[in-house]
Amino acid sequence: MDRRIVLRHDAEPMAAASRPSPIAWLIAPALLLFVLFFVLPFGVMAVMSVFSGNPVTNPNAFLTTRHYMRFIADDAGIFHDALWATLRIGLVTTVVSLLIGYPLAHWMARMQSRLGHVLVLMAVIAPLLTGIVVRTFAWMTILQDKGVINTTLMSWGLIHKPLPLMYNEFGTTVALVHIYVPFMVLTLTGVIGRIDERLEQAARSLGAGRLRAFVEVTLPLSLPGVLAGSLLVFALSISAYVTPSLMGGTDVLTLPMLIAQQVGTSFNPNFAGALGMILLLVCLVIVIAYNKILARLSGEKGLA
Amino acid sequence: MSAVPNKMPFDPGRAAYVTLNVVLLGFLLAPIAIVLVFAFNPTPYISFPPVGVSLRWFDKFFASSDFMNALWLSLWIAACVLVLAVVIGGACALALARGNLPGRGFFTAFFMSPLMLPAILTGLALFQSYLLVGIGRPVWGLIMAHTLIAVPYVLRTTLAVLHNFDRRIEEAAAVLGASPLRVFFEVTLPLIRPGVFAGGVFAFIVSFDQFPVSLFLVVPKGETLPVVLFNYMKFDLDGAIAAASMVSILLALAVVLVLERLIGLKAYVKL
Amino acid sequence: MISRRNALKTSAGFAAAATVGAPSILHAQTATLKITTWGGKWGDIMKATVLPAFEKEHKCTVSADQAFPFLPKLQASKKNDPLYDVFHTNSNEQWSALTEGLVMDKFTTKEVPNIADVYPYAVSDKIVGVTIFTSAIGLGYRTDKGLTPPKSWKDLADPKLAGQRGGYLIPVNSLGQCHLMMLGKVYGRGLQDLDAAYKALEQLKPIKLVDFTGQMEKMLLSAEVSEGVIHDSGVYRYEGANRQPVDFCSPTEGVMALEQVLNVPPGSKLKELAYAYIDYMLRPDVQKLLAEAVWYSPANRKVKLSEKYDAKLLTTPERVATLIQPDWKWYNARKDDIDARVTKILKG
Repeated sequence: MDRRIVLRHDAEPMAAASRPSPIAWLIAPALLLFVLFFVLPFGVMAVMSVFSGNPVTNPNAFLTTRHYMRFIADDAGIFHDALWATLRIGLVTTVVSLLIGYPLAHWMARMQSRLGHVLVLMAVIAPLLTGIVVRTFAWMTILQDKGVINTTLMSWGLIHKPLPLMYNEFGTTVALVHIYVPFMVLTLTGVIGRIDERLEQAARSLGAGRLRAFVEVTLPLSLPGVLAGSLLVFALSISAYVTPSLMGGTDVLTLPMLIAQQVGTSFNPNFAGALGMILLLVCLVIVIAYNKILARLSGEKGLA
Repeated sequence: MSAVPNKMPFDPGRAAYVTLNVVLLGFLLAPIAIVLVFAFNPTPYISFPPVGVSLRWFDKFFASSDFMNALWLSLWIAACVLVLAVVIGGACALALARGNLPGRGFFTAFFMSPLMLPAILTGLALFQSYLLVGIGRPVWGLIMAHTLIAVPYVLRTTLAVLHNFDRRIEEAAAVLGASPLRVFFEVTLPLIRPGVFAGGVFAFIVSFDQFPVSLFLVVPKGETLPVVLFNYMKFDLDGAIAAASMVSILLALAVVLVLERLIGLKAYVKL
Repeated sequence: MISRRNALKTSAGFAAAATVGAPSILHAQTATLKITTWGGKWGDIMKATVLPAFEKEHKCTVSADQAFPFLPKLQASKKNDPLYDVFHTNSNEQWSALTEGLVMDKFTTKEVPNIADVYPYAVSDKIVGVTIFTSAIGLGYRTDKGLTPPKSWKDLADPKLAGQRGGYLIPVNSLGQCHLMMLGKVYGRGLQDLDAAYKALEQLKPIKLVDFTGQMEKMLLSAEVSEGVIHDSGVYRYEGANRQPVDFCSPTEGVMALEQVLNVPPGSKLKELAYAYIDYMLRPDVQKLLAEAVWYSPANRKVKLSEKYDAKLLTTPERVATLIQPDWKWYNARKDDIDARVTKILKG
């Protein structure tokens, strides 16, 4: 596991590897917060997902697996599609966010001027601060048939019919990427910033081109940040529902959108709870797998 | 400590790199430019190209007590959440990275799970629990709910920085006679600052922009800005929401600037 | 301008007060009637004029929740201590609430005297609670696109409108649901002929779908669509400075009713006050104020609106007769299947 334990300054060699250190207690506040505000409410949600109604307000509610069965059977033919759509949009959003976010993070981290750094930081964060509602409407203005892109392209005679940029997965993904790139950038910039530039310079002075030095030195060292950022963006994009609802029309139906519909217009919090549990389960599996990869890669890389 | 200066007068590689980044920044900022246009455009619906410049939406925004109360409430809550999330999340990250806990992978996944669940369920679950327990919908309940969602971010960024951390610096300090506590405050903390700062910024933004959880937990006259904006938008989709957006961007950026000065990214100390 | 410092101090004080226990402070003095309300212009008038007048008359406070959706919150609260005393929403949601025992069925003149003066539709068997306002759901269209103004619901399927017509996400919007039922009537045997409705829906593709009427209004105003399903209020309210070449058509087959319905949860501890509130909302002066603010048709027969509103809204028995009230009980029972089916049909 952690080979560095051997060098710990509290001078307890190998034995320390099996015993938690006092620092472990620092987990206590987080644990308390989560138990009170996450585990308990989710206990409530899990209970709801196996009842026919709300057991607290409805004495006639009974235990049932029908909500889970409904999802698994998928008579309507839309539930499984919704799950795949969710994962697919999540994956695409993550990859694109990474492709956009990495160069920005690298630029920001390597920037010499403090002022430049702050300016880019502001620019990166500003999209997040517009607020989910307004940001979505800004994208509508850009992507609509009568929006900026289409009117400009048509006035230049490049196209004759408006491009369908909205009310589909494309528009949804663009809007989601836009929201999540800042998260990717902020996660990566801290990690990249900590990578000693002289390592890259050493590689270059040994004859490697800039690109090669980047690919073989900086990139591998930034991997923990890449994985952390990807995980964050993935988790966020698979649970998003406001943006896909506003941008996707009916072309896009994700599991979170379905959950929101069940809560807000079908008034079926029990089925919504079951869907939520299913989503959570699928994602926990993915996250745990990611973490195993992260641990293995970090362990192998160690220090240069 | 600084990069090797380029000897060539024009460096195509570097130019391409900077251009790429500027284009990407453009992608990020384009919608904001639109919002800006929208905020000054007098027509009460989204139209492009704009027809003029007018301050009516800003007037409407500042004159509305709904909007103003919501703005201050959101800022206040976000500030509380920032502090709470950074402390709780930072401590948790240290515990996970250094505490040698059994089941680290599980705990990490556990603490990340609020992110994976659609916030509408988190909001509904908390709402039901609060009602069950009988505490109603107090502001601190809203703050704790936001903190719950913010902690995973702080955790993630701080862990990422801790992973890449050169422990030998701490060991060197210890060898030179510093106590563990001193090592922590004078060596560790400053060096993980970028991660903590990023996490803090996240926490603030996540709380300020939070919508689905707030939806269930706000009370009449105690609504956060995103909730007020969303409800406003359902009936009156006009420039007032763009004006609200512009104002909140500026205020929030001011907060981030202050944060940057205090905690700062200047901790790129290289030894 | 409020200085940030003062505002932060005020908010801090406000937050502190809120946490300390504002409800108990209020209860000690006066009763607090908890209601739900829409936002926008309606909400503005309510908060500025209508509610304060009521508070003064009945010596109480009214706490108005504007954070939609309301029914899930009512659902989660205890039956003997409901989150609201007066529940204002559209008829489809009132029916859903009734099936869970969250609202009452009917009121009589004993509880709400002004019920004696309302049109029959406000207390018909298709309503639970009482309607205070209604709107006609028909077709909104742009007059500057060189199209013949629509006369029938079938005109929406005109091939010339491909990609230029607008509808709603049926699972989440009651206008969309009304539209679906109307398709059954127009193309099939009646409001409940879902097969005919599904076929007709197929023919309407490609169609731009939105979540709520505000979006449809804006699509018409910005010419993103040339014709769409909308209620009369959504077209007429953009008069004066906001005037655009958009008009409303009441199709010959009839208009569907979009109703604002008030009801009271049986467990409410302030029933008398709640009834008084509903009665108040049916008073001619209050009805006139709100109707003219947002272009709703008042349910009280005795209301006399100003000229320009009277000309367009449903203020005579003849016009009221064109309103078609759907059977929400029937629809809600099938909602899950319908939702799944239309999602499949309308997917790209």
